[in-house]
Amino acid sequence: MKKRYLALMLLLSTFLFGAKADSSIWGNNLLSNILEYDKEGSLHMGHYFTVIQSTYIQPMLLFVLIVIPLAFAAHYFIVGPKVFSHSGKSIMVFSLFKRINHALAAISFMVIIPTGIIMIFGDFFGGGAFVRFCKGAHAIASPLFMISVIPMLLTWMKRMIFSPKDDIRWLKIVGGYLSKEKKPIPAGMFNMGQKIYFWFVTLGGLVMIATSVILYLVDFELGIFTSMGLSQIDVLRISALTHNIIGIFIVAMFMVHIYMSVFAIKDAYKSMIDGTIPEEEVKILHSSYYKELQEKGEV
Amino acid sequence: MANTWGYGAMTNSLGDIQNAKAIIIFGANPAVNHPVGFQHFLKAQERNNAQMIVVDPVFTKTAAKADIYVRIRPGTDIAFMYGMLHLIFKNGWEDEDFINDRVYAMDDIKAEAAKWTPEKVSDVTGVPAEKLIQVTKLYASAGVGTLIWAMGLTQHSIGSSNTRLAPILQLALGNMGKEGGGTNILRGHDNVQGATDMGCLSDTLPGYYGLSEGSWKYFASSWGVDFEWLQGRFKSSEWMGKKGFTLARWWAGAINGKDGNDQIHNAGTGLKNLFVMGNGITSIAQQAKVKEGLDNLDMLVLCDPFVNEAAILTDKQDDVFILPAATQFETSGTVVATNRSVQWRTKVVDPLYESKTDQWIMFELAKRLGFYDEFTAGMKIKENKKDFTWPEDATDEIARIIKTIGLTGWTAKRVKSHTENWHMFDQISGRGYGKMKGEYYGLPWPCWTEKHSGSPVLYNTDRSVAEGGMGFRNRFGLEHDGTNLLAEDGSAPKDSFIEGGYPEINKDNIEKVLGITLTEDEKAKIGKNWKVDKSNIIVEKCMEKGLAPYGNAKARAKVWTFPDQIPMHREPLHSPRADLVKEFPSYEDKSNHFRVDTKYISKQTEQEWVKDFPINLVTGRLVNMNGAGMENRASKYLAALSPEMFCQIHPDLAGKYGIRDKSMMWIHSPEGTKIKVKAKYSFSVSEDRIFIPFHFAGHFQGEDLTHKFPAGTAPYASGESANTVTNYGYDIVTQIPETKGGLCRIEYAKEEA
Amino acid sequence: MGEFARLNFYCDEHRCINCDGCSVACAEAHELPEYISRRKVITMNEGIENMEYSLSIACMHCTDAPCQQVCPVDCFYIRADGIVLHDKDKCIGCAYCLYACPFGAPQFPLDGAFGTKGVMDKCTMCAGGPEETNSHEERELYGQNRISEGKVPVCAAMCSTKALLVGDSAKISDIYRERILSKGHGAKTQPYGWDVAYGKKL
Repeated sequence: MKKRYLALMLLLSTFLFGAKADSSIWGNNLLSNILEYDKEGSLHMGHYFTVIQSTYIQPMLLFVLIVIPLAFAAHYFIVGPKVFSHSGKSIMVFSLFKRINHALAAISFMVIIPTGIIMIFGDFFGGGAFVRFCKGAHAIASPLFMISVIPMLLTWMKRMIFSPKDDIRWLKIVGGYLSKEKKPIPAGMFNMGQKIYFWFVTLGGLVMIATSVILYLVDFELGIFTSMGLSQIDVLRISALTHNIIGIFIVAMFMVHIYMSVFAIKDAYKSMIDGTIPEEEVKILHSSYYKELQEKGEV
Repeated sequence: MANTWGYGAMTNSLGDIQNAKAIIIFGANPAVNHPVGFQHFLKAQERNNAQMIVVDPVFTKTAAKADIYVRIRPGTDIAFMYGMLHLIFKNGWEDEDFINDRVYAMDDIKAEAAKWTPEKVSDVTGVPAEKLIQVTKLYASAGVGTLIWAMGLTQHSIGSSNTRLAPILQLALGNMGKEGGGTNILRGHDNVQGATDMGCLSDTLPGYYGLSEGSWKYFASSWGVDFEWLQGRFKSSEWMGKKGFTLARWWAGAINGKDGNDQIHNAGTGLKNLFVMGNGITSIAQQAKVKEGLDNLDMLVLCDPFVNEAAILTDKQDDVFILPAATQFETSGTVVATNRSVQWRTKVVDPLYESKTDQWIMFELAKRLGFYDEFTAGMKIKENKKDFTWPEDATDEIARIIKTIGLTGWTAKRVKSHTENWHMFDQISGRGYGKMKGEYYGLPWPCWTEKHSGSPVLYNTDRSVAEGGMGFRNRFGLEHDGTNLLAEDGSAPKDSFIEGGYPEINKDNIEKVLGITLTEDEKAKIGKNWKVDKSNIIVEKCMEKGLAPYGNAKARAKVWTFPDQIPMHREPLHSPRADLVKEFPSYEDKSNHFRVDTKYISKQTEQEWVKDFPINLVTGRLVNMNGAGMENRASKYLAALSPEMFCQIHPDLAGKYGIRDKSMMWIHSPEGTKIKVKAKYSFSVSEDRIFIPFHFAGHFQGEDLTHKFPAGTAPYASGESANTVTNYGYDIVTQIPETKGGLCRIEYAKEEA
Repeated sequence: MGEFARLNFYCDEHRCINCDGCSVACAEAHELPEYISRRKVITMNEGIENMEYSLSIACMHCTDAPCQQVCPVDCFYIRADGIVLHDKDKCIGCAYCLYACPFGAPQFPLDGAFGTKGVMDKCTMCAGGPEETNSHEERELYGQNRISEGKVPVCAAMCSTKALLVGDSAKISDIYRERILSKGHGAKTQPYGWDVAYGKKL
């Protein structure tokens, strides 16, 4: 077993070494990378990367990490959570496949997001072995997300299409979360908030995956970029910035997602465990979906 | 060179190049081959506004630093230089006084040069006429100019003519014997000058003494051995005076004329054993023949710090011995630099592992062959010792014996003191300060006596002989065809007893020429002439009178013993210009040329080579390697700079053959051999030629032989040897191979799946 | 060396002949793996008449080092003499420094599992790292520490044509200015007693 693992390692590393011999960063293109750095007519990406990375990324994330929990705390104590009884009748909403799919993504997020945050605040944690371990974990958990995001996108896509009638109304009342009343909220199987989150996480996730692969491999060259007049180093710079900025948005979204499922709607997360949602909860929070089910005679 | 003015060596020094106002470089690439020495070229440009002109078939790293680059067709340097001479004489740019006083037969050159109009030169060399005019005007009018060359000028069938015409060009401009002038041949390896000085040639004894009986007898008595014993080592006495095989064609001796190979004249026998000491014989032209030669040997001994790839090349299974030799860092002794100066090299570490120093190997060999006592006798003579100290006594022995090039002053003690006090010498002139005052660094030869300063600039008449001044050597008689060969009045070195020319000094003419009377004691001790005068009385007396012992003569533009009395352009044996082959045919075939029959005209006219082989093939060096690259490819960092054999090819030429950048290609030679190399697009070469480096070995005609290395000895990089496809062709005088002007055919090589 | 001296590299493109002496000397002195090239010689317009020139490039030890600014774990530090160094124990191999660097100086060994980037390696101007000076650990991680021994960085010491200059930026500009001003003034002989390769001792 160990031997096989070693052989695999060797195979992989020779591949990477092979890519290295014709380096596009330290080899042929080094010269043009140096000459074009911050020159007139260039993309100035080196400069932008340095400025954005050194001055904006950390404060942005810090803002997200402080302001969002504060807002939630305010909401929790002022408006309070919505509570639906889980002892009554429940509706089966999420199939086992979907639940496993969600679980995979959830586990990967549990790893990727904290490790990502740790890396951005690497200096706070003093770098070294711990942050390096986080970097490793960040990389190792990402394949898990990769394999879950595509099925997720495909199976839930239909239900995630925006329906203007409900969604605009949902937005107008901010999903009813600002009132303590339990009156039916205009929403289908997924409400507008969930839809926004879904599209952000799946499509944004795909971008994250793409950029992560670029950042991971570093030294390769893709015809598509060169044909766009992008040098490899600029591709890397753009990828790093995109990855970090979108990453911060996803962190913010993820926090909302967690708050909603655990606190704002008490015990809502359980639906992703057993697949069922209390009938009352569907009736109130997903009124259109409830009507749909009624028409089909499923409730 | 030696046939022009007496000595065949760099006349000035690398540091002296800084004094030049113009630098013209023929077939040399010092930026790659002498990177450290090249700083002097750059400083000449910086400080002196020196114009650097590079004449080369390939745009080299040196050319990148040049003010003017001239892309010349390989093997047409003579035409180019005659073109320059044509313009020089036409415009009266020559140094008339210098030519009159110090040069013989320049008129013959003038007559030949008249034929080489810029248009004609342009046709032959491929250099635009305007460029020739620009270069000539610049070089002739710059003041003192230095002329540099290396293997690009010598490795041709007309190499010996090339190396005569270049000095003639300098003579015409009066650039000889001047600081910042001279003809500066760049030696390609560590201690090459020392090796040739010590007779690592098949036609001389050490110190360029000839093979005459007189020389042998002088050496026999200096070595402290019987002349008869020495003679007895040869098959018969007549073989003692015959030239041996050369490095270029030893393999012909081993093949012994089999299968239609060139016939040899070697007392009726082929070469049986080969002993190689530190020579990359895998970088010798016609590798396929080298392999055949190796296969035909009875015994092969290779003596190198790394495995000599000859062991891999041969199919021979038995009697191949690889001896582990120590490197220069594991022993001590003298080394001679390109400018004829000597340095002491001290041991850094003891020989590593099982390796042995060269001298240990040779002493043991002598012991086992039964002549150890004779072999080492010479080292004990000076102080009549019982035993000798290596290498001090060997150095002193050299100083005691070698008079021709004036090594008398090179005693171990002096050489060591120079090296230890190297910081007390000026970098440019080599002049010493403080306690080293009055000496030049490394005592560039001729260093006539143990007190002599050394001669940093050869043939410099602005200095006295005691300070390293001298005229040209009187080596070719006193007159030729009724013309005086001695220098004219007013051309003697400073402080000379004689105003004009004088002959070389011997026992018979010393009293008359020097105007002295020798005592009886001196008469008894004195040798026959200055070259074999063990008492050194001739030299001492000459020094007193400010005379050079070798005389003061004219340099000669005409060598009446050579096939071409004045240098003539002849097309390479494999020429891309069939029309010019008819106009400038090669020499008649030469029988018994260093014991081998050598083809010239018959090879050139065997077929119209250019039809099947339309591309010029140029070989050369890489900065990270030298010679066959054995040591360099065994260094992982050096090997990483050029991990595989490649061929520089112009994209347009490659396009015609469907060869993509970094794809594999075949190069076929007229000899029927081929190599498979990686194509590397380059604008350094023009569309009619390709460039390949010659440092690789380990692959042969597409076959990887590296599995034959003893375990753990394979170098980091291996590849095809460029010399597998270099063409047949050898110089008419020196037999140096014609590697810089051949032809080839190329094709795309399909990658095997 | 003055109080405000900042050590810098400068490569005189008129002198550089692309001999790679600097890069090989560097690799050899610090025993670098083959795929790490702390120093590299680059050639522009190769093979084109009057247009070709070469430069030796490595970490330029910038005053406002962008690598230091973007490093998420703050592993860079700039010595008082201007040498930009980094702490390999802190470095996590994220390569942000490479993205920020105008010179492509940071190098990464591909030695982690699945070929992940190892910790960054770059030119130290032969000044080692944060480990104890001349300790075994420093040698293993950062290579030789020649600066502590008063020696010139190995690349510049080995430069065959003295194209690559290193030292106090004021001194370097003096040397370069002298090269420019002496143009056409004739060969200069060295004063008696020069004892280091660079001429006068700094």
